[in-house]
Amino acid sequence: MAIRNDQGIVLRSYPFGEADRVVVLLSPNRGKLRTVAKGVRKTTSRFGGRLEPFTHVDLVLYEGKNLDTITQVSIIEGFPRLRADLDRVVAAGSMVEAVDAVAQEDESSLRLFLLLQRGLRALDSGVVGRQLITSFLLKLADVVGVAPALEACAACGRPEELATFSFSSGGVLCQRCRGDRGMKLRPGLTEYLAALERAEFTDLPEAEPSLVSDAMGVARRFVEYHLDRSLSSLAVLG
Amino acid sequence: MFEGPVQRVVDELSRLPGIGRKTAQRLAFHLLAVDEVDARRLAEAIVQMREQVRPCRRCFNMTGGEECGICMDPRRDPHIVCVVERPQDIPVVERTQEFRGRYHVLGGAISPINGVGPDQLRFAELKDRVADEQITEIIVATNPTMEGDATAMYLAREFKPLGVRVTRLASGLPVGGDLDYADELTLGRALAGRMEL
Repeated sequence: MAIRNDQGIVLRSYPFGEADRVVVLLSPNRGKLRTVAKGVRKTTSRFGGRLEPFTHVDLVLYEGKNLDTITQVSIIEGFPRLRADLDRVVAAGSMVEAVDAVAQEDESSLRLFLLLQRGLRALDSGVVGRQLITSFLLKLADVVGVAPALEACAACGRPEELATFSFSSGGVLCQRCRGDRGMKLRPGLTEYLAALERAEFTDLPEAEPSLVSDAMGVARRFVEYHLDRSLSSLAVLG
Repeated sequence: MFEGPVQRVVDELSRLPGIGRKTAQRLAFHLLAVDEVDARRLAEAIVQMREQVRPCRRCFNMTGGEECGICMDPRRDPHIVCVVERPQDIPVVERTQEFRGRYHVLGGAISPINGVGPDQLRFAELKDRVADEQITEIIVATNPTMEGDATAMYLAREFKPLGVRVTRLASGLPVGGDLDYADELTLGRALAGRMEL
């Protein structure tokens, strides 16, 4: 058994035994990490609030047979402003949930880590709203290799006569390929989705509220379809 | 491993949280060794608890009657309500002997990651109580975790506009602790909530 150093963003944790917690983190080098924090639920715990969700921490781990035990924690980035606002907590919750669903154990996940870090930083610096979640989900789909085709037909690659959007085909379909697949999206929606996917989190394009809401609905269903599970935080967001 | 009835007790006990096979065996043989009256009393207590205990119709604390003892106590201030996540949290606050109001058990905390939103918790019941019982202050005693804090923020958002004072238990340094070991989040809150001496 050895001691090793690592870092990661806390995704979630759940009670374990009498006063312990299993803390699930995303490490840039090792992907999803499951670790044990002993005694963390006691008020005298020296880990205190360092292992709360969304915290980017530096860890010293004692390697165990199944789970590694955390022996030291220090905060690299705590995102304190994010925690002080309910809407941002819910938004961060949906980012973390989606990341948790796609991250794998023992697999480098630098791009995913950087995406989550950028997302949380944007929330912490004051960006909030459905556009941010939509953009995050679309970028996440890109990182895991299932980005929706938005500017050219998902079947033949033609950029003209784009008619419908199909979850199973992976994006928009042109008039020739559509057959009876897909659903018709309102005008401007695919363009808006494409703009959200390209944009930086700090410079997201605005649109009228119903378009923003529809865009989130499509991005959510698309990611849920390809992950084959529903994202419950987004249901809380409404 | 053992004869039928003994093994059955061992199996049942070892399904309880925190009790392994070895402890279950020890408990089972202890129950065989003690007076039959004592063993029967335990069995009856469990049966009685399951038959009689239900949530208090006002605060959702666990009680044997319609309303819990705290809600029926005329000496307690009905206008101040302490909001907790679970019924188990009530005795913890009671032990301080500092609180003389009533309680409200939410049944959990808002947890976006687990899909627990306001609709799954007893906020609507609290809203009714605020109107019916002229509640003037809500003390939020949810856990100082992300979920507990989210719940506190939701309570403030919902009830402050109704003219109710919403307060949160202070978080800070544990008594007898060492400043060296305080984390940034806790120490930051301790500073923000510092008191005049």
